Amino acid sequence: MTTFLALSLTGLVVGCIYALTACGLVVTYTTSGVFNFAHGAIGMVAAFTYWQLSVAWGWPAPLAFLTVLLVLAPLLGAVVERVLVRPLYGAPIGVTLVATLGLLVTLLGVGFLAWPPDTTRVLPKFFEGHTITVFSLVIDYNQLLVIVTSIAVAVGLRVFFSGTRLGIAMRAVVDDPELAALAGTKPERVSQLSWALGAGLAALAGVLLAPLQTLNVTDLTLLVINGYAAAMAGRLRNLPATVAGALVIGISSSLVLGYAGPQVVNYVRPAIPMILLFVAVLFLKQERLRAGSLAGLRMPRTAGLRQSVGVGLGFVVVAGLVSGQLSPASLAIGGQGMVLAFIMLSLVLLSGYGGQVSLCQLTFAGLGAYAMGKSGGGALGLLAAIALPAAAGALVALTVVRLRGLFLALATLAFAQAMDQIFFNHALGYGGTLEIPRPRLPLVDTGDDRAYFVLLAVVFALGAIGLLTLRRRAFGRRLIALNDSPAASATMGVSPVMTRLLVFTLASAVAGLGGALLGGLHGSVSPNDFLLLNSCVLLLLATLGGLYTPTGAFLAAMSYAFFPELQKLVPELGQVQFLLTGLGVLALGRNRYGIGGQIADAGERLRSLRVHQVDRVEVARAAG
Amino acid sequence: MLRVEDVEVRFGGVQALKGVSLEVPDAALVGLIGPNGAGKTTLFNVITGLEKPNRGSVRLGAGDTWVDVTSLPPHQRARRGLGRTFQRIEVFSSLTVHENVLAAAEARRSWSRDDASPAQTASEMLERVGLRHLEHERVDMLSTGLLRLVEVARALASRPRLLLLDEPGSGLDSTESEALGDLLVELVQDGRSILLVEHDVELVMRVCHEIHVLDFGQVIAHGTPDEVQRDPAVQAAYLGTSAA
Repeated sequence: MTTFLALSLTGLVVGCIYALTACGLVVTYTTSGVFNFAHGAIGMVAAFTYWQLSVAWGWPAPLAFLTVLLVLAPLLGAVVERVLVRPLYGAPIGVTLVATLGLLVTLLGVGFLAWPPDTTRVLPKFFEGHTITVFSLVIDYNQLLVIVTSIAVAVGLRVFFSGTRLGIAMRAVVDDPELAALAGTKPERVSQLSWALGAGLAALAGVLLAPLQTLNVTDLTLLVINGYAAAMAGRLRNLPATVAGALVIGISSSLVLGYAGPQVVNYVRPAIPMILLFVAVLFLKQERLRAGSLAGLRMPRTAGLRQSVGVGLGFVVVAGLVSGQLSPASLAIGGQGMVLAFIMLSLVLLSGYGGQVSLCQLTFAGLGAYAMGKSGGGALGLLAAIALPAAAGALVALTVVRLRGLFLALATLAFAQAMDQIFFNHALGYGGTLEIPRPRLPLVDTGDDRAYFVLLAVVFALGAIGLLTLRRRAFGRRLIALNDSPAASATMGVSPVMTRLLVFTLASAVAGLGGALLGGLHGSVSPNDFLLLNSCVLLLLATLGGLYTPTGAFLAAMSYAFFPELQKLVPELGQVQFLLTGLGVLALGRNRYGIGGQIADAGERLRSLRVHQVDRVEVARAAG
Repeated sequence: MLRVEDVEVRFGGVQALKGVSLEVPDAALVGLIGPNGAGKTTLFNVITGLEKPNRGSVRLGAGDTWVDVTSLPPHQRARRGLGRTFQRIEVFSSLTVHENVLAAAEARRSWSRDDASPAQTASEMLERVGLRHLEHERVDMLSTGLLRLVEVARALASRPRLLLLDEPGSGLDSTESEALGDLLVELVQDGRSILLVEHDVELVMRVCHEIHVLDFGQVIAHGTPDEVQRDPAVQAAYLGTSAA
């Protein structure tokens, strides 16, 4: 019984921290309509800042605590709202989501840069050494502090949102900012306050969580992500349900740790929050189609067949010529860029054309690599590398594709994280690897690195030409139409669910094939290759490169692959790479079509300039 | 063609539609008018499946064969012959004028046994609404009035038996409005039924066979254009005077 109580207490404490995180998320979402994927990262930065002030610089703990919670974190939240979030109001969910993902990556970078992982950092518990005993259960003051703080915050938020003028104004702003403005509220100021409050709650969760474990940038960020499941339990609106969900997650995880077998503890327990998140999303009602919710996109012009085949051929020829000049190491890096670009094509199809946000594309890539590794290469291997992820994608799509926007993104996030923990760690072993053979093809010696590099260039070129062809045909138009106006599409007889199911399955198959080719390039894969965070980075880069064109995908993938090499030449780049990511995300506020979109626009302007010139010449000729 | 029976829609405490019933016969042009906020667009949303009624039913059919479509999703109602345009324009902004209409024709070919070439259908429909010369333009370059005609062409490309038009004349000048009226009459002569929501009362009176008047979510009058014009309840709703 004592063990049960002790485990429940530990779970209750962790659950309280999840509740704080989730409440912060709900506060930000309900008042600004933007789901902050960087919430966990803000908590992480706050925890490290608290360590910096209280341990490294020796500030008194209460002063450091209050400085972080009441000054630095709210300031960060307010600045993020002003600089990153405000320019994106009214933007499609995919863009706002990627913007906060960009903030997540930037803050992770700041974390690694400011507090390198080569040093062990530990935060002492609050009131270290003080305990009380209740019914033979020893409770330390740190645990009491967490529980009492969480109760106070939950009650305080409840009172704030239902009983104060500012709280009611915050709720009014998300319901209808224009109407709220007419009623005398300043929507921007209210939204900024909510981001400050949300960041404060993230910081509180981070600082309270940090003493319970060794400080680690990634772990802290991801642990706070577990609060997402609790936020979904309250459907991102209901604070009491959110707190209840958080406690269930914390306590159930703790009890599993105490009573379940080692297999479950190792593989399933870390995934419990994400499994619950997936389940919570499954119980959401299907979103109603609404008229008047246009995406308002203006996608770049699509190249014609002749042009895309011509560029594709030129691309392969250049790749062939360049491959002769590259060292084996550069061939591997360039090859990685080609494969990543190919995987990103699945995002162009799914997110760019189809308007669906997926945070699990590398999970499907991992499944493709796994199928290839287990089937021993050859035609059968390639087939398996396409079929297994396609089947998994269809299965996921069947359960979540009725959802759209944020909820679909959260479902794919949960799927990716659960697959990381349960499948890849189990199938490949912690830190283990699986050998992946290269596909065997007639007339091509794929064992030769140069030939394989050219093969990857051919695969990317074919993928890009295929994608552009699809875009110009009926299915492409149907996707664009559904993305632009789901209501109008449905009233022309298009089944939104069936169309999304099809595109999700197709995109999973493309990612799977890419994963198999990536595995073949390196010879093996490990669970770390398909982490959720990597999928997030992939989506982020694809968006910055331009989610609507293969050119954007190629540029994004190549810059990602070659950045470490560039960094060898210019070491200072390492210091600013996360800043560059942040700047890229800020640019999304001005141009949501990315670099690829800019290039396509420039091409269009050039073309129209040429047409005008021809017109002028003809007019001059006609005039005599 | 269409029977709406005792439809009721509530948004929280607001009752948008109260016991609305109306019928659109085969090959008839029926008008639905009323002041702003009367519930016309909500009724369109109920008929096309974008809004679920709290009570009542929507049936499609003819003669003795009527099918209750109240529980069907919008795309299945479209496949049973319903087409519509929107009050707040819903064109596909990334596509050209021709592609907007083509997408509808292609969608039709995917669920019907119609072998007609979608490209040809799209061109025909654009010709019909007078936009053929703009087919290669991107829709975001067009005026509101022209966008409404793109929506009409797109709805026609699905070859619906019943067309629901939500303020198609809004943004058109008098000549264009007159051409639209002629087009509606032609469509009905071809055998289609039309339910028309329109603020251009002159247009409605000129082309409609019968008219329903909605006010505060209820049908307050129904009859021929002449009968409706003379109805004191209608005059009160539009002019704000007492019906008594």
